Amino acid sequence: MNDQLSAPAVDVIVLGAGMAGLVAAVRLAEAGLRVTTVAKGYGSLRLSPATIDILGYRPDPVDSPAQALPDFAAAHPEHPYARISPATLAEAVQWLKEHVGTYAYVGDPDTNMLLPTALGVPRPSAVVPETMAAGDLRSAGPLVIAGIGVLKDFHPALVAENLEAATAARGRAVKARPVLLNPPANGQADVGAMALARRFEDAAFRRAVAAELRAAVAGEEAIGLPAVLGLDQARSVWTELQQATGRPVFEIPTPVPPSVPGMRLARALQDRLRRAGGRFVLGAEAAGPELRHSELVGVRIRAAARVTPRTCRWVVLATGGLSAGGIEVDVSGTASERALGLPVHAPGPGEAGFLPGYLSDHPMETAGLRVDSSLRPVGPDGEPVYENVYAAGAVIGGARPWREKSGDGISLSTGYLAAEAILKEAG
Amino acid sequence: MEEGRDPHVRLGRVAATASAAAECEVLVIGGGSTGVGVARDAAMRGFSTILVERGDLATGTTGRFHGLLHSGGRYAVKDPQAARECIGENIILRRIAADCIEDTGGLFVTTPIDDPQYADRFIAGCQDTGVPAEEIPVAEALRREPRLNPRITRAFVVPDATADAWKTVWTCARSATEYGARILPYHEVVAVTKDGDQVTGILARRPDGEQVQIRAQVTVNAAGAWAGRIAALAGCQVNISPGKGIMMATNHRLVQTVVNRCEMPADGDILVPIRTVSVIGTTDIRTEDPDHWEITRAEIDQMLESGENLVPGFTAARMLRVWGGVRPLFQDHAPADTRDVTRAHAVLDHRKRDGVAAFLTITGGKFCTFRLMAQDVVDTVCTVLGTTRASRTADEPLPDSQERRFYTLGSRLAERERTLTDEQLICECELVRRGRLEDEMSRRPAPSLDDLRRALRLGMGPCQGGFCMYRAAGILHQLKHLSAAEADQALVAFLEERWKGVYPLLHGDQLREAWLDDWIFQGVLDVEHLPRAAPALPREAGPRETATGRAT
Amino acid sequence: MTAEHEFGIIRDSLDHCVKCTICESACPVAAVTPLFPGPKYVGPQAERFRGAGPSVDASLDYCSSCGICTLACPQGVHVAEINSQARAVMKNQKGMPLRDQIISRTPVQGRLGTPVAPLANFALSNRFARLMIEKVVGVHRDAAVPKFAGHTFQRWARRHAAPAAAGTKQVVYFHGCSTNYFEPGLGRMTVAVLEHNGFRVVVPPQGCCGLPLQSNGIFDAARGYVRQLVSHLVPYARQGDVIVATSTSCGLMLKREAIEILGVQDEDLRTVSTQTYDICEFLADLHAAGELKTDFRPVPLTVTYHAPCQQQGHNMGKPALDLLDLIPELKVIELDRACCGIAGTYGLKREKYDIAMQVGSGLFDDIRAAQPDQAVCDSETCRWQISHGTGRTSVHPVEVLYRAYGLG
Repeated sequence: MNDQLSAPAVDVIVLGAGMAGLVAAVRLAEAGLRVTTVAKGYGSLRLSPATIDILGYRPDPVDSPAQALPDFAAAHPEHPYARISPATLAEAVQWLKEHVGTYAYVGDPDTNMLLPTALGVPRPSAVVPETMAAGDLRSAGPLVIAGIGVLKDFHPALVAENLEAATAARGRAVKARPVLLNPPANGQADVGAMALARRFEDAAFRRAVAAELRAAVAGEEAIGLPAVLGLDQARSVWTELQQATGRPVFEIPTPVPPSVPGMRLARALQDRLRRAGGRFVLGAEAAGPELRHSELVGVRIRAAARVTPRTCRWVVLATGGLSAGGIEVDVSGTASERALGLPVHAPGPGEAGFLPGYLSDHPMETAGLRVDSSLRPVGPDGEPVYENVYAAGAVIGGARPWREKSGDGISLSTGYLAAEAILKEAG
Repeated sequence: MEEGRDPHVRLGRVAATASAAAECEVLVIGGGSTGVGVARDAAMRGFSTILVERGDLATGTTGRFHGLLHSGGRYAVKDPQAARECIGENIILRRIAADCIEDTGGLFVTTPIDDPQYADRFIAGCQDTGVPAEEIPVAEALRREPRLNPRITRAFVVPDATADAWKTVWTCARSATEYGARILPYHEVVAVTKDGDQVTGILARRPDGEQVQIRAQVTVNAAGAWAGRIAALAGCQVNISPGKGIMMATNHRLVQTVVNRCEMPADGDILVPIRTVSVIGTTDIRTEDPDHWEITRAEIDQMLESGENLVPGFTAARMLRVWGGVRPLFQDHAPADTRDVTRAHAVLDHRKRDGVAAFLTITGGKFCTFRLMAQDVVDTVCTVLGTTRASRTADEPLPDSQERRFYTLGSRLAERERTLTDEQLICECELVRRGRLEDEMSRRPAPSLDDLRRALRLGMGPCQGGFCMYRAAGILHQLKHLSAAEADQALVAFLEERWKGVYPLLHGDQLREAWLDDWIFQGVLDVEHLPRAAPALPREAGPRETATGRAT
Repeated sequence: MTAEHEFGIIRDSLDHCVKCTICESACPVAAVTPLFPGPKYVGPQAERFRGAGPSVDASLDYCSSCGICTLACPQGVHVAEINSQARAVMKNQKGMPLRDQIISRTPVQGRLGTPVAPLANFALSNRFARLMIEKVVGVHRDAAVPKFAGHTFQRWARRHAAPAAAGTKQVVYFHGCSTNYFEPGLGRMTVAVLEHNGFRVVVPPQGCCGLPLQSNGIFDAARGYVRQLVSHLVPYARQGDVIVATSTSCGLMLKREAIEILGVQDEDLRTVSTQTYDICEFLADLHAAGELKTDFRPVPLTVTYHAPCQQQGHNMGKPALDLLDLIPELKVIELDRACCGIAGTYGLKREKYDIAMQVGSGLFDDIRAAQPDQAVCDSETCRWQISHGTGRTSVHPVEVLYRAYGLG
């Protein structure tokens, strides 16, 4: 009905609402472009601890991501970081800090903090929510790790014991001991992270928790809690607990989704998008490019009842990697890119995509798009498939995000760079 | 009886560790269905009994097949003896082990690749062997099972059922314990001791590495695919030809009834709805070593094709994992002497065959005849010991089966409805409550997460442990007073073990799941960088649990 | 032993579930009551335990079928649809309460209530009568029920002559039961807006889309209703006419739910489905093509806009916002709450009313805080719930356009 139109309906269609997609969309919308984000569901940012891990392991440990990145990029020319300059990274981090709003992100690309995981492993992370920073094991004093009885996704005893052993092995032992809190839970035995986060936004609940904590802490201990300290009110919940206990309090990300810190960040960015006038179409999916004389003039969008072409000037492809389904592998072992059908760099059918050892370097791990220096997906000849399509996030191949500890850093910086590339063209 | 309402928990442990030298009348080697069946029958007849198994119970052949409780229809033409035994035991097991059995019923269908003539031979064979089989219109079969291949030409209803192998084995073990038997998993036979030409017992290695002597008046070799090796330790010859077969589980039940091809037994001719999945099986490839073999891509493709023939669209269904098992095929080198031709299994008295006294081997047979096999060998034990004691296993129900109520697919869902707000759900995919998990942990001295997986189906659903294993490791750490290093190792061991069954077939939805699980364990928990302070647990001793699969 | 479920894309979509729990974190009902274990639990997870034997999980019935879980799922699991089908199986096994049979048959209510509208409306607003209704039928005494208009939209449409200026472009109006029996004014405004844009509006005899029957698990009757509705609409659809719907819920039924949930594999339904547009979707597309009249007068009002769950289910974004943006001086506050709580007939039920009001409480607070002149919302049941929860007038976006065009 609307395809006689010559002027595109919007400037940019952003496919995907994870970190990369939201960062790009917000940046573009705030610069005044008309942006529509199309997402087939909520992005995997809501599953992520939302610490900005830039680079943690090379595989040897990295103390300063900013310093390590140039050599790392040179050694891995197909890695997304090979397209990211230190300046872009710094700008992207700064941009995020300014755009979260509900609470602050602290840290910078020059230094990795070491934050305890829910197994007590010190994990390198560069830029983290302020609610987590006091857990930095490089400088932490004695810790009390407080679990909450009704939350099955956090085991303080395991955290404390492993934390002590791990820090001792690294040369600076941090003492840690577990306690278990049992605040009022309305008779529920099984309360998930999200529900608990909402409870923390209730003043009476907070008071009960603070009272238990005060009775439990000793000496100079700082308090580690699972990352459930409020949803949109995280800053005030965390501040109040610190005041009420007189101690530094820090959150430890819970391992099992959904992630409360991830929710906070996703909601904050989605809110910014809405206020910047960006449109958000949920539950729709890209069904291929809309071409005119082999130029991409839009995206075919599958919604209820129909596939409709939506025209645009640029596309940001941020549909995610193998876990989100942006890159898929069928039963024969063939990898493909789901939204636009772009060529994927991956082991083919008949080639081993996975190796027997669990922690091996599986060839399929790095499957994804290859991109040029502007993040445009390229074909086997190295040339962009479409002049006006930019990729961001896990859909770009070449990385091993879980083992490098680089996932959010890649998403943030490539989302930022993709937007920048488009803004340059838009003039 | 619903799971969890367990009146026997108060009796404490089912599995134990031998503290010092032990003595008994009957020693059983092998903790599969046959072995625990023997232990139970012997203990019920008043014999002091000890069972040793080198790994966890039912980690040999018993725990690795699809769970089909045959009606006998499969053998009605090819092996009438086996068919008669199957239907006979099918009826008995339904009577005594209802809680372990789901009355799914079965269908035999003539698919486009099957010989249409076979169906008539099938129905005749069923009549001859006493297997109830009734022909139904194809339209009716398709109504009952909408996913069935619409091009089938004939359909027959038989009383197939499915049995949860681990539940059956552990319930038998529990019953045996109640009758005074001692069940010792993770005790590996190192040597068979003799006095002259009489077997006096064994030397076994305990989980902590110490060796312990167990003396017995009669030793029964129920080691299945490993029976030849055990026999050799006693200086006897038992020719076992291991036959490997692979199976694959789909994420959800594509059928609610067992579906068999109406054809001579062939590879991949059965699709079994067992618990929350359906399993296609199996192949048959001779292998030398029951402990080391491969899962090949060719076999995987063969099973996918077989599944597609029964249920169109099978290839596109989500596959949870692939695994293999080894059938013990007995090749009798001395047929006339000891083999009872009315039986599809064999009790070997080695005094007659090899001149070695007080040593029996029970071999052959199949899961659904384990009770009968146990009965036969314990009858022979009685003869050897010069006493007459009758078996009661055909009549006395197993624990939890007294009310003769079959397991139903919805039972855990119904149970959870009652505990929605009272108790934590640890494994969400398979609905395992915290109390149930803690009970199971209490029943054993030092369970691994894999042991718990087998007993409870913890981590056997779509997420393959991604969501529940951290929780379980934490609970194990606390409840069993493990060190963090031990709990860490339990977790990592589980992850490595799970990966073996998942990676040969990883694609589509299961690949997405695996990636999300990797995010949790590697990205968020960072298991790769756990501190490794404690030495490896003896837990690692034991059978290789899955194949060294390779995509070839 | 027999599987009673609808076989097809819905149940099989459970295979896409990676247990990520995003659906559960988005579910507005699970957020307020522990009686509902959450969409992941009752949908793809419990479905693996169903199909062999009787239905055992009554907690499934607390699902409101708002569909937000399906929207939120990043993997393509049809969570809400799985729940709907499982609920239908359960209710068919356990028996259908009389209440559900009554409240899901809007045409019956309409036909009975319209001739005696003043009396019916009195009864529905009378405290004592509502107490009796709650006792006998199970509709909560305070639940937001509409008023009968006393005349039907169909009657008006039959007498309405298209203006002489109407062009040759034809569009078919699927007005739905609520417009017919309770809000014929909305229907008149819709026709006026379309005619203002040069369309000849056809209002064929129609019927109920069957959505309330479907959401109450009465699938056979629902299929009957929807097939009959389709038979009226398909002649137009076949010749390429666009069918516009002013109820986003009923429109979604034709676009998607009748096919996915009821499993109606009809060629006719598919034809109608591809031609069905939500009214705001249609007008916004017109505007994108440069064909919408934009002669709006200034409207110096503040309005809030809430997109109902089943509007989001169209997966088309919020075209109402694009339209409202065209009206000079109109201040539009886009609200960001998931659900108003009514979820069709869910919030009417005695045992679910409190849950529904808790679900909607955030939205009510936001609206009250914004102090709008009107609360704009595309679904009729949501409008009634919003008025009930906030005391504010609630109107369809078309009504705002109608007044901005100066048509009334």
